[in-house]
Amino acid sequence: MPNKDSDRIVRFYEVQQIPPGPSIWVPLVQATLITQAGGRINLPLLFDTGASITTLRAEFYSILGLQSWDQGERASTATAGGTTDAYKYMATLEIFDKTITCPILLNNQFPFNPLYMGVLGRETVFNEFGFWENIHELYVTGNP
Amino acid sequence: MKYSIKSLQDIGEVKANLRATLTSAKSPEETLEMFDRIGLEPFVTEEDDLLVRIWAVAAEDFVPREEAAIIRAKRATSEKSDDLDWLGKNLAVVRGQYASEWIAVHEGEVIDHAPALPELLGRISEFDRPLITFIPAEPVTWTFTYAQ
Repeated sequence: MPNKDSDRIVRFYEVQQIPPGPSIWVPLVQATLITQAGGRINLPLLFDTGASITTLRAEFYSILGLQSWDQGERASTATAGGTTDAYKYMATLEIFDKTITCPILLNNQFPFNPLYMGVLGRETVFNEFGFWENIHELYVTGNP
Repeated sequence: MKYSIKSLQDIGEVKANLRATLTSAKSPEETLEMFDRIGLEPFVTEEDDLLVRIWAVAAEDFVPREEAAIIRAKRATSEKSDDLDWLGKNLAVVRGQYASEWIAVHEGEVIDHAPALPELLGRISEFDRPLITFIPAEPVTWTFTYAQ
């Protein structure tokens, strides 16, 4: 019997489509990205258990202190449009009240969506937490 | 320590503790800090009054757990997710005003916008953890979604 104690909830957000269509429910989290200058900004990320590495839009390279988005270790990532190049870096995120330094990918082919600037991946981040799912909510524990 | 109210009767005890906090603090700022520390949400009104938010259990097992999740998703909450919630509900209006721009959302409003991310971040450093996102002019791509 798995332990389903949880202390956090990942909400599914109801979004009205443009143009109007059926409601879409998306599991979103706000992760705080610590910038190179020490500032903190919140980024909406899609909670995607299928993603291996947390991926952000390429435009965030500048706040990580990089000169360009594609100067890191080259990697491939799968998107809806096929496999594209991505570049790997280390970044510090605050999520579910934990501060985690983890690998992230920057990708310049990330789909346009104002409700998520990236996806929260399994590697490192998911090692820190346990999850179980209910209707329209994901339950999170910091002690998996 | 955070207050945990198990019944409506406990509210009387909480109110007594609040009065003690009010009399022991040396300044209004210290009072607000003390309330913040114990997990209450203080708010100073335009009429100079101090309000605090107290949640109490009014009914246990009010709805089935599955239904509770849907209700929470549809109603505004006081959690940190407010800015994202606000954005989701006002997406059409925001997109009409800020298409092709980066925006910063803080406490339920767009506090600044710019065509380039560094320009935006350079102007909002005084805000704590604003929500940053890009509003595309192109049709929104709904990939990796859970459709109802």
